[in-house]
Amino acid sequence: MVTLEKIAHLAEECRFDSMGPAASPAVLGVDAEKLSTLGEGTRHDVCASTFSPRETPLPGICHAFTQDGRCVTLFKTLYTNHCTHQCSYCTNSVNCSSKARAFSYTPEELAKITLSLYRSNYIEGLFLSSGAGRDEDRIMDKIVETARLLRQKFAFSGYIHLKILPGSARAHIQEAVELADRVSINLEAVSASHMNEMCATKNYESDILQRQRYIRDILSEASSANLPAGQTTQLVVGAAGESDEDIFERVLYEYKEIGVRRAYYSAFSPQRGTPFENRKSQPLWREHRLYQMDWLFRVYHFQPGEIRHAFNENGYLCNADPKMAIARVFMDLPLDPNTAEFRELLRVPGIGPRSAQRIVAFRKRQPIAVKAELAAMGVRIKRAAPFLKINGWRDTTLEMWQA
Amino acid sequence: MKIPEDFIYYLSLHEDCNERLLARAEGLTAGDVEVSQHLEVARIKKMVYAVMGEVHRMKAFVRLSFLGTSVLYGFFKPRHKIGEHICDHFARRNAGIIVVLGNGRESWISIFREDRIWQDHCQGLSETLERLKSALHCSEDGSNVEGLWQVYYDSQYCPERKNLVAFRRYMPRRDQEAAGIRLVQNKKNATLGEFLGESEGCTEK
Repeated sequence: MVTLEKIAHLAEECRFDSMGPAASPAVLGVDAEKLSTLGEGTRHDVCASTFSPRETPLPGICHAFTQDGRCVTLFKTLYTNHCTHQCSYCTNSVNCSSKARAFSYTPEELAKITLSLYRSNYIEGLFLSSGAGRDEDRIMDKIVETARLLRQKFAFSGYIHLKILPGSARAHIQEAVELADRVSINLEAVSASHMNEMCATKNYESDILQRQRYIRDILSEASSANLPAGQTTQLVVGAAGESDEDIFERVLYEYKEIGVRRAYYSAFSPQRGTPFENRKSQPLWREHRLYQMDWLFRVYHFQPGEIRHAFNENGYLCNADPKMAIARVFMDLPLDPNTAEFRELLRVPGIGPRSAQRIVAFRKRQPIAVKAELAAMGVRIKRAAPFLKINGWRDTTLEMWQA
Repeated sequence: MKIPEDFIYYLSLHEDCNERLLARAEGLTAGDVEVSQHLEVARIKKMVYAVMGEVHRMKAFVRLSFLGTSVLYGFFKPRHKIGEHICDHFARRNAGIIVVLGNGRESWISIFREDRIWQDHCQGLSETLERLKSALHCSEDGSNVEGLWQVYYDSQYCPERKNLVAFRRYMPRRDQEAAGIRLVQNKKNATLGEFLGESEGCTEK
């Protein structure tokens, strides 16, 4: 402990340090309508990571939650909402009849807002996307310039996620990869034909997939310090009539061939004034089930062949846990938690990686004798019990066969 | 959440922690605490989780304002003894800047400089800020970061996804109050019915 006066003296001395106190630059006169409009433009974009090795990462920190229960961790904004693309689901596209006024930031302005919000602990970093403007290369240049200002002029050590605009030059992608923690380019659709239905001005192969390959190739050539949170992508679910199985096949390609760190899903909801205004909104549970399917592949390491059993004959997931559907197909015999392998435990509904680890650690000390012990380790007994056999006893209930 | 190796540190920050519990915890490993079903160990686990949970939420929810160019301060009234821990966290995040957290009764003050934390525990927050004002000859910062934030925060809400149950679970009123947050969300679209509390509407204190 030192006195307050000594601390004040230390702070004054910091003026003479090479960096000086990294005070918040004043952000005065920001147009509230601009801030709001450009913020609204990213409402449907998702990024759940804030991993940045530049400082001690705060895993899963959420600085606020909106009333829809989604976390607000980053300053998510468009650089500009001016766009020349004709995406039929988007309110910024040229064929939207109720477009908002066009706004744009300057790189300096955006960097100052980001830094002020970061210093005041409202956010962990910046998520910067944009409309394509008149020329995507000019806008990409501004996006990169914003990131460069933050990193180099303001010594910003927080998280930066940059969206790569479809059709961007490889040189801009290279710069973005060097400055950001994560970059992404939205697939939006599962195939070229679905993309044609959603947006006539984007070429699925050359504007999107080829840019993803650029990122993959740049990462494979660059040092491992670049882009610690990797490349991601996002899909609009249900806008062009694609099935869940179509989405799964596309995502498999993305994970295996492109090397995306993860895929995000956003259930389509029709926006006023867009050509898709009268299309049916997709239920949020569809998005939820797709995330569960994605989780089974990425985290639980289920094989694609196993996951395909969760789709119905039309290629859709039911509004039920896909893990349960897969367990019904593959788990004919109950599993003894005292002898099962870790990967077998992971296949039981109600048992996740953490509880499976606890089971393995617990049974090294003493055998599991009752269900209550599993419950205390975080196992959801109601779901797991029909698939387990403890001390030779098995719950024979209808739960195993219920949806 | 996983029990960390230094769980005894978190246990010691719990408001109900005592010497006997600390002595009991000394003989345990993080793995023991994670899986043991002994009543007292389960209690230790619960206490560690309670402190870790509050630490996590306060790192997220406490908001800071500038006093001049070299002081950041924020309201903070934790249930557990985590004042110093959280203040140090913000000082490390803002090297070279004094960070003051506190409430009407007590305050914590830290600065991170030359790879080292310097800290003090003082009287109430306003008293500490007055002393800093006179020591540094500084005054309140004129920028309205909270106003910026509120506009941005409202812009992120998707009405078609409204889910107040999730909102309240993730952002308990108790923690909002401890961090001094005021969230009046989506005021421009609020209805009279919501204002009168007829339906699940505005969230705020």
